[in-house]
Amino acid sequence: MTTPLTLTPGRRPDGTALLTVSGEIDMSNSDAFAEALAKALDATAEPLVLDLSAVEYLDSAGLTVLFNHADRIELIAAPLLIPVLTVSGLSEITRVQGTDGPAAG
Amino acid sequence: MAPSEHSGDAVPPEPPSGPGADLFAADAAVGADLAAVDWGTTPLGSPGSWPQSLRTAVSILLSSRFSMWMAWGPQLTFFCNAAYRRDTLGRKYPWALGRPASEVWAEIWDDIGPRIDTVMTTGEATWDEALLLFLERSGYPEETYHTFSYSPLRDDAGAVVGMLCVVSEDTDRVIGERRMATLRDLGSDPSAARSEEEVLAFTARQLGRNTADLPFTLTYLFQADGSAWLAGATGLPAGHPAAPASLAAGGTGGVWPVETAARGGTTTVELDGTPFTGLPPGPWPQPPVQALVVPLLQQEAPYGFLVAALNRYRPLSESYRGFVELVAGHVAAGIAGARSYQAQQRRAEELAELDRAKTMFFSNISHEFRTPLTLIMGPLEELRIRLEGADPRVREEIDVVRRNALRLGKLVNALLDFSRIEAGRMQARYEPVDLAAVTAELASVFRSAFDKAGLAFEVDCPPLPEPVHIDRDMWEKVLFNLLSNALKFTLDGSVRVALRAEGDQAVVTVRDTGVGVPAAEMPRLFERFHRIENARSRSNEGSGIGLALVKELIGLHGGTISVESTEGRGTCFTVRLPFGVAHLPAGAVAPTAGSRTGPVLADPYVQEALRWLPEDTADVPEPATVEEPVPGAPGAAPRYAPGPAAPARVLVADDNTDMREYLARILGTTGYRVDAVSDGEAALSAIRKNPPDLVVSDVMMPRLDGLALVGALRADPRTAAVPVLLLSARAGQEASIEGLQAGADDYLVKPFAAAELLARVRASIELARLRGHHARWRAALVDSLHEGFFVCDEDGAVVEINSAFTEILGFGPEDLPYRAAHPWWPDAAKDPEAHQQVAEAFSQLLDRRQGSCTVPVAHRDGHRLWINATFNEARDPDSGRRVIVGTFRDVTAEHYAIQRESALASLSTRLSRATSLSDALWGALSVLQELWRARRVLAAVFGDQPVLAGTGAPQAWQDLSAERRRALSELRGRPLLAPVTDSVGAGILLEHPEGPLALWMDLGGKRPFSAEDQLLLSLLAGHLAQGLARAHQIDQQRETAIALQRAILGPARLPAGFAVRYEPATPPLEVGGDWYDTVTLPDGRIGIVVGDCVGRGLTAATVMGQLRSACRALLLQDASPARTLMALDRFAAGVPGAVCTTVFCGVLDPDSGRLTYSSAGHPPGIVAEPSGISRLLEEGRSLPLGVRPDRKRPEAASTVPARATLLLYTDGLVERRRRPLSAGIREAGAAVQRGRDVAVDELATQVMSRLAPQGGYEDDVALLLYRHPAPFDLSFPAESSQLALVRGALRSWLDQCRLPRRTMQDVLVAVGEACANAIEHGHRHAPGDMVRVRAEAFVDAVHLVVADTGDWKAPQPGGPPLRGRGIALMQAMMQQVTITPGPSGTTVEMHTRIAR
Repeated sequence: MTTPLTLTPGRRPDGTALLTVSGEIDMSNSDAFAEALAKALDATAEPLVLDLSAVEYLDSAGLTVLFNHADRIELIAAPLLIPVLTVSGLSEITRVQGTDGPAAG
Repeated sequence: MAPSEHSGDAVPPEPPSGPGADLFAADAAVGADLAAVDWGTTPLGSPGSWPQSLRTAVSILLSSRFSMWMAWGPQLTFFCNAAYRRDTLGRKYPWALGRPASEVWAEIWDDIGPRIDTVMTTGEATWDEALLLFLERSGYPEETYHTFSYSPLRDDAGAVVGMLCVVSEDTDRVIGERRMATLRDLGSDPSAARSEEEVLAFTARQLGRNTADLPFTLTYLFQADGSAWLAGATGLPAGHPAAPASLAAGGTGGVWPVETAARGGTTTVELDGTPFTGLPPGPWPQPPVQALVVPLLQQEAPYGFLVAALNRYRPLSESYRGFVELVAGHVAAGIAGARSYQAQQRRAEELAELDRAKTMFFSNISHEFRTPLTLIMGPLEELRIRLEGADPRVREEIDVVRRNALRLGKLVNALLDFSRIEAGRMQARYEPVDLAAVTAELASVFRSAFDKAGLAFEVDCPPLPEPVHIDRDMWEKVLFNLLSNALKFTLDGSVRVALRAEGDQAVVTVRDTGVGVPAAEMPRLFERFHRIENARSRSNEGSGIGLALVKELIGLHGGTISVESTEGRGTCFTVRLPFGVAHLPAGAVAPTAGSRTGPVLADPYVQEALRWLPEDTADVPEPATVEEPVPGAPGAAPRYAPGPAAPARVLVADDNTDMREYLARILGTTGYRVDAVSDGEAALSAIRKNPPDLVVSDVMMPRLDGLALVGALRADPRTAAVPVLLLSARAGQEASIEGLQAGADDYLVKPFAAAELLARVRASIELARLRGHHARWRAALVDSLHEGFFVCDEDGAVVEINSAFTEILGFGPEDLPYRAAHPWWPDAAKDPEAHQQVAEAFSQLLDRRQGSCTVPVAHRDGHRLWINATFNEARDPDSGRRVIVGTFRDVTAEHYAIQRESALASLSTRLSRATSLSDALWGALSVLQELWRARRVLAAVFGDQPVLAGTGAPQAWQDLSAERRRALSELRGRPLLAPVTDSVGAGILLEHPEGPLALWMDLGGKRPFSAEDQLLLSLLAGHLAQGLARAHQIDQQRETAIALQRAILGPARLPAGFAVRYEPATPPLEVGGDWYDTVTLPDGRIGIVVGDCVGRGLTAATVMGQLRSACRALLLQDASPARTLMALDRFAAGVPGAVCTTVFCGVLDPDSGRLTYSSAGHPPGIVAEPSGISRLLEEGRSLPLGVRPDRKRPEAASTVPARATLLLYTDGLVERRRRPLSAGIREAGAAVQRGRDVAVDELATQVMSRLAPQGGYEDDVALLLYRHPAPFDLSFPAESSQLALVRGALRSWLDQCRLPRRTMQDVLVAVGEACANAIEHGHRHAPGDMVRVRAEAFVDAVHLVVADTGDWKAPQPGGPPLRGRGIALMQAMMQQVTITPGPSGTTVEMHTRIAR
């Protein structure tokens, strides 16, 4: 059994490609996640917005997928994920936009 | 923790103060009674007028749970609190309140008055520990012990106006220790095996040391007629009328109830009336008034009984009664041991007696031989001298007689020497000799024999520096034995005798180049009657006592003999004799050598040795022949051919009287002894009665003719060899052929010349004699033997037997020969083992030159016999073929007797060595297995359910085959000790202390289980049953003690999150009344109990054990603490000593931390919260157990918050002298708070050590800690698909811990990375291995451990930052990360503080 993960491709009102992710990302489903992300990126030449605000858990396997496409994605993440993105250094090379969710800590 | 942090109910309520009745409000019960006192009549006046100091003192008194009383004012008016009332005052309450103390304690005022005076006059406190006081609180003066302190009470002005006594009662402890000491001493008998008298004396010594509990004791033992005799007494002077030396059987009017005791009953006897006047009081003021008569129980009827006078100052409680019964048990066990030892001893003495008798017999018989030998030797020597010039053949025969008489004399002398040595009666005369000269002289005697044998003989005996003390006769025997031995076993080469001085010893060596001794035989070389079989030698003769005697004789000289030998190369004997006389008995040493000329004992040795050597044919006369002229009647008859040397017997059978007389006359005159009969029938019966040397028979006779007679003779083995000469009138070749065909030896046709008849008769007799002389001799000899005799041919077929053979085995000569395998061999199918045994013995018989064996055989009628057979190889003189000749005895009875004796002995040994009942049974089973060579032996004890024991691998009853289970169960229906056999084994039923025991042996169907076996099994089973009962008795005594001690230990497995401690008060006495318990309830909640029974010692432990079990059971039934305690109230009312036990009983939900509880007078539990505040659980309180059994108990609820710690304890943890209980409770709360950052088990250790007073706890302490929530512990297969589940479980535990959301996420990520690493790297090659995640919350921190069974890669700098990123994440999220790779896996430990 892999960890439940839902990936929904779409477009933002401004037309930017959007991939909305909800659930948890860990090593059991990071391949599926990587595949979906690559597919979404293939479908557009523009940067892609990855909405992680409904992701409750992201581990280093998920981070690696994000690092591989760091220059083509923008992230939306709940405060719970911010420490991981910060600690890993991803937020230094990728734009991360926080949500209004409850502040972590 | 500061006191200000207490919530409202954190401290015990202040005692109410105020005028009047409020003064006594601190205790409802005692207060009410104090209020009811008419104070106006006391010097203190009405309470309203009391000074503040008195009020304060009274309220301290009443609010204390520690036992206290106080006295105030000029008359020392008495007050006390509830604890004192309960523990000490007894029936004097409430009468005592308000009375002068001297009146209240009138009976002990002499003891305590002076102490109170001291306090009142000096103002200094007193202290007494375990002081003996005779209190009359229960209606009689009672032996009590109290530890108490009197301290002054001062009035408002500071003057001493009263005293306060804080007291704790030690009665149970002091008396319990005293009784334990007696029981321990009784059990400490250092020697295991002693006589009954010694056992009784030892017991009396021990009992006499405790006259406090046993003012006097009498031990009576029963005799066979049922009467009893006084075997021991303590505390009573001899001849006292209460201790008659004997008591009649069954008497009811006697001093003691013999009849009841004989039936195993215990009686209490009132000690009043005549025989009991003037009893000594022991250490007490008054003599005893009661005695307990307890039987000394054993397997069957009691051995006797113990009369134990009772301490009149103690009630005859269960524990007192139990003590006396245990004492009686010890005495009975001692007697049982002594009696069985005595029986063993008797057996040993009988054996020793038998041995002495044997030695005596040898000694006597040897003497008996010597007398006739002397009478043979003396005349023989004379005869030799007289016949100097006589016929060489006469001389030759005399020499034969002489040689053999000498040989017999030598043997008899050697046997005599042995018996003398054994009896220590060897007469020796050790004289100083020149050993070189003596040895050389003795050796020279043998020279001619060695020369004749063609052996080189070298004697190398240079003079020694000093003389050696020897007994000449003995030394001759030593040397001659060694020399004849060398000659006998050396077929070629040389023999060398040498003498040297080595240090302080003379060393004689006799070295030969003979056949040598096989290594296996070396150890037995000097054993008496041991002969090396099959050794090549010059003679097969020998008794096997020569070397044994040599060794004994050298031993008498203080010397040694040793031997070195190489088979086929030779042997060297080395004799070492010390110089000087220090090693010799002074009385046997002669100052100088006596005069003596040459060896005196040489002849027998040399003569015997010479007989081994080949005869020089030139010297030996022709063998004797029967060529002797028989003197006929001179001139009376013609001189016919000469008759036989010895008168031969001839039977003449002829119907013609003239012919008969003629035959008789011519034969008679020629020297034959003649019998004559008139027909064949008469001839046959005469021959059968006494076979003649020759039958001369007419052919033509009435009734039975000559030919038929010959046929009948030849048909009977006994007469088949009798020669027959037939006479017939019928001439012609056919007739003679007919006769010869019938088996006649010769045939003579009438008429015949006398000379021809005589020549034929003579020839026939000679021929038959030549043929049958030896055979007949031997047959007669052999038939006269009592032993069975047989001859086998080289194929092992039995070709000859004697009548004893037929008598023993039932097989007669008619069926000879008996070919192997012989019909008397045990049946190979029914008894393969016995068959095998005989087959082995038989092959030995075929292969070896001689030997002996004891084997089982079957009689012709089928019954089993044991025979002891001895056999020797021989040559058939006719055929030159090898035959085996043997004899045997029926040793059946001996065999079974020995088997029984040794089996009983080995069973007894095993049973006596057993340390427990199960050990005894196991040992006995192995004895049975060994005895019957069983495949295995099973024993099923049918108690509540069958319990199996057995040899071999352990097996449970359920594992047995259904068939075997049924067979064992069916044994139960059989009578006791009656063996049952089936196709594969045998079984028996016997009594085991825990129920009937069915025992079954798997014999694998290899051997039949004979009647003898059954008898033996039944005998052993009976013995075993007794042994088991004895072991059980010992077990029980030990178990009583151990069970009580074990009962104090808590549950074997604690639920997670708990820690417990128990600390006994004083290290040697690990028995107390405190306990803790946890019990997991069916709904997952956990029952928690901490309790404290009154008192200490065995009694308290027993009560505690019962309450603990009861409480557990009640909680499992109904998870309500209040209802559990109410049920326990009712239970406690029925258990002596259980009333007033305090108990805290709670039920905890480990998920929510919710705790419902109820307390029966127990100190409050403490909840140490993470905030630093400690709360007391002091709702739900009510009275101690059993005080008001029907009152409803309250129940309260509280929640143990996340990361808070619950502490439950007994008062020993917090109660200290001269300090309020609340202070101790506060200190305990603080101690728990200080352990915020340690695991709960470590915290338990810290609390115990922080609160311990200097010198250790004075009371026993039970402690229970729980920190909420219990640690997280999860193992999962190392697969990534498990990660989400693990996160889910961990998340809900973190929820229970109430961690901040941020901390929770940090922990989830860090643990997730550690788990991912474990899966990714640790288990890449072994998926499915387990990963274990553990987490424990402390107050301010969380500790995490992730362990796997693989090894990790260190992060590769510059490589793909895969798992390196994981480790970086862990380090960023946690305060501390330690990764420990090990050979069996990698462990990640992480630690993070909890943000407030």
